[in-house]
Amino acid sequence: MKSGLLAAALLLALPASAVAQGGSGTFTADAVVVTVGMTIATLQDLTFGTVPKGVATTVAPAAAGAGQWEITGNPNSFVTIAFTLPTQLTNIQALPGSTMPMSFGLTSALWRRANNNPAGATPFSPALGTVGRFGPPPNPTINIWIGGTVNPAPTAKPGIYQGTVILSLTYL
Amino acid sequence: MRRVLWIAAALGLGASSLHAQGVMVAPHAVYIDHRVRSGSVLLYNPGTEPVEVTISTLFGYPVTDSTGSIVLRTVDAPDSTLPSALAWIQAFPRRLTVAPLERQTVRLLARPPVGLPDGEYWVRLMIAAKAGQIPIVGVSDTTAIQVGVTLEVRTIIGITYRKGPVKTGMTLSNVRAQLLGDTLVTWSRLVRQGNAAFVGTVRGTVMDSTGATRASFATPLGVYFTMEPRIASVIGKLPKGRYWLRYEVVAEREDLDPSVILPAPAARDSVRLVVP
Repeated sequence: MKSGLLAAALLLALPASAVAQGGSGTFTADAVVVTVGMTIATLQDLTFGTVPKGVATTVAPAAAGAGQWEITGNPNSFVTIAFTLPTQLTNIQALPGSTMPMSFGLTSALWRRANNNPAGATPFSPALGTVGRFGPPPNPTINIWIGGTVNPAPTAKPGIYQGTVILSLTYL
Repeated sequence: MRRVLWIAAALGLGASSLHAQGVMVAPHAVYIDHRVRSGSVLLYNPGTEPVEVTISTLFGYPVTDSTGSIVLRTVDAPDSTLPSALAWIQAFPRRLTVAPLERQTVRLLARPPVGLPDGEYWVRLMIAAKAGQIPIVGVSDTTAIQVGVTLEVRTIIGITYRKGPVKTGMTLSNVRAQLLGDTLVTWSRLVRQGNAAFVGTVRGTVMDSTGATRASFATPLGVYFTMEPRIASVIGKLPKGRYWLRYEVVAEREDLDPSVILPAPAARDSVRLVVP
């Protein structure tokens, strides 16, 4: 599904100093600490496109329209994966109160270590969350996918319906 | 004078999508000494769009559930029995926008209460990042229904505040192991000692009857109180035979500055593995 790595190596070096004081035998050096941050990159939003009224439309987590993130962090570390999910989407073009229900199943999300192919990823319930683990070196990544179901009523007003899915990752 | 400088090396954004968006947070663990009472977190936006960031704090610590999975137990209003710094560590600014390819610093300021006992105190920093709304195009048909769901991300890292002497240790018991195909699954009971979290690594080494190493794994772990973690590691299929798993918990971490790792004796045990 995704390919190509855009390896962004970030080097943020603040001024360093190493001061040798001649004759006194003392030496002052700055300590340098190397640390790996964590980056959550949203690769793709969850997209349903145009949906018919009165018919439930599902995007599977392995489908092309699924939402996808890639997280880069500390090799082999555990992180909790939790979601805050919408139950309703709001029509941003209609009068207030025009909504559409949205739901998520027990296997509406996938996660996988060190591999960005959803085929073979581990399914989980986004409502329950799970514990993921970064891949080993040299690919300390986690990929996460999410799908869902929208169910517009037959009387649903036309327009653009929007909502927000929040992904929370906690270093353990 | 000793200035502590740091280099944040962030390995990339595996991204081929047209709109990969995110923010790098570094470091992923912050340690604040009582004598300094401040710290910082760096945010970097490697993307092509500005990212709106909101900063907040919460109290929580990792525990294990009945299956051995590690989860974050959060406490909305921690009482005096918990080593919480939630009430007196603040982050500034609490809202900011990080422009593309730019970095910004979030300052952490501690105002501990007078008479704070020696020990270690914890709080979690939540960095919520939101990129621009995804445009939904092609709505030429005014009778159509279009659906788009925007994704937001929250990164939650630990902040540790230390005052005075702190010490930690580990008691290891009830080590078990099972081979399931090419995966080694281990369980153990880990009980932290002292008055500070045990931040270290679980290492496992599988040895055959000659003492030769056949497989190994290493898992970073933080034990704040007690844990019974289930750790599954793909080690490949082993030939029929008898093996020993050497299981050890050591106070070492490759991803953290050694100066923040509290020394503690390693805890070790061994269990037999049989491949029928």
